[in-house]
Amino acid sequence: MSQHLRAECSLILTILFRQPGFWVPTVLFPAMLYAFFGAQSGDGNWAANAMASFAIYAVLGVGFFQFGVSVAQDRESTFSTWQRSLPGHPATPWIARIMTSLVFVTLAVCLVIAVALLMTDIALSASTWARLALVCLFATIPATVMGIALGSVSSARAAVPIANLIFLPLAYLGGLWVPPMFMPTPIAAISEWTPTRAMGELAWAAINGTAWEPQQMIILLGWSLIAVAVIFVSRNYATRL
Amino acid sequence: MTDYNFKEYPIRAIGLAKRFGHVNAVSNVNLKVTPGSALGLLGPNGAGKSTTLSMLMGLSKPDAGEILVFGHEAGSTPARQITGATPQSTDFPDQLTPRELLRYTAACYGKAPKTEDLAAQFGLQALLDRRVAGFSGGEIRRVALALAFAGEPALVFLDEPTTGLDVDAQEGFRVAARAYVDQGGALVLTSHHWHEIEAICDSISLIDQGETVLNTRIDDMRARANIKHLSFDLPARTVPPEWMQATHDGRRWHMIAEDADSILRQMIADNLPFQDLSLEPLPLDALIKHIRREETLQ
Repeated sequence: MSQHLRAECSLILTILFRQPGFWVPTVLFPAMLYAFFGAQSGDGNWAANAMASFAIYAVLGVGFFQFGVSVAQDRESTFSTWQRSLPGHPATPWIARIMTSLVFVTLAVCLVIAVALLMTDIALSASTWARLALVCLFATIPATVMGIALGSVSSARAAVPIANLIFLPLAYLGGLWVPPMFMPTPIAAISEWTPTRAMGELAWAAINGTAWEPQQMIILLGWSLIAVAVIFVSRNYATRL
Repeated sequence: MTDYNFKEYPIRAIGLAKRFGHVNAVSNVNLKVTPGSALGLLGPNGAGKSTTLSMLMGLSKPDAGEILVFGHEAGSTPARQITGATPQSTDFPDQLTPRELLRYTAACYGKAPKTEDLAAQFGLQALLDRRVAGFSGGEIRRVALALAFAGEPALVFLDEPTTGLDVDAQEGFRVAARAYVDQGGALVLTSHHWHEIEAICDSISLIDQGETVLNTRIDDMRARANIKHLSFDLPARTVPPEWMQATHDGRRWHMIAEDADSILRQMIADNLPFQDLSLEPLPLDALIKHIRREETLQ
């Protein structure tokens, strides 16, 4: 790792770890919510599926709150303007962001798993754990891109409430809190097209040992492309001003 | 065309233009900075100084023209590797301390942080390990100035560097900036404080309505127009002769003297009972006005 990349990672981690407003909801909440609503609500298989749901919820939270809020803040911050005058490859700060987001994703997901291991009797094979880890890693891509899209269109002040306004309904609609089978029919119909449902389906397939369906990948790819389009349109609009 | 000398200039900018929507912020700026010298970018509010500085730093691209930083395109990786900057306004993440910011900046340049030296130069010793959240505007400014020098750059850009600084900190900055130039560094700064420009800079570039209207060394300007500011007291109810075109500010009489020796001889010949006479170089702003007026007449 280059000295510049280490410096960027260290700066981001210092800022975020000194901001309880960031790490409490992103790192602690998924495990806490899982302890309240997932771990106590059924047998081992149920608890394992719920664990996968809250792991995805954790991944999405980091994407929305780390990238969504920080990108919005950067657009208005003179500090980030000054950072652009510093040496180094322009991609380095972004690589640092992705690496540090993986630190928070890992912490948040590990806490959910720790609660599951402490409070439930789930017993998963090594390959199941590996498949779940792979889904979580894969889910960081659309979560990150959607977070950046949110940050590209929202002001720094509005970023947190807007992130909550999108993140919480998406978590519900995707069946991360309430399994899709218990959703009212119209909500269940919408649910199938949400990125969170697609992420959830992949995670549940990992837990249940079933095959990953290409349809879920296509849905995630579609949402990612929409987010990328939002980022490019907002960038072009900003440079024209 | 690029030649050897061309590459040696810390900055060479030719025909810079920048538009924001329908507004021509900069339309024709030309300037150069010679090695081991400081250039003051001057001009009224809205003249295009900060836009020019932003382009020199590589933070925005000119719509027309070319900027070379030691022969490299402004904003390119090699150019950023040898430049430091303090923009007009800076904020820092509340969670960080000056020590962490200095360490981060030095690391971006691949250098070891000279934290204690910079803290001493910019009066940050007592603030080094405090988070910037509670800092005053002046303290933030001192941190921003120290960061511009943290990567040991060969060229530093400073936009209104002393805004918000108290008198002692302004003096400290002037000493540090001049020492940097005397050790071979190049400096470009904008300021509304003429005495600051005169204390630090070797040359000036005057921008008006987006165009360079004057590029000169301060020494050359003073040599070209050997004008003095003459001030003196006269006894009550005594007025200077009309040929002097002196003005009274309520306390003393003042005049601009293009040939001070002749004027003094004439004052003595006229038996003018002047007292407490002082003869000083014309302040930079008045000198620039005089030269521009002369150029307009020519």
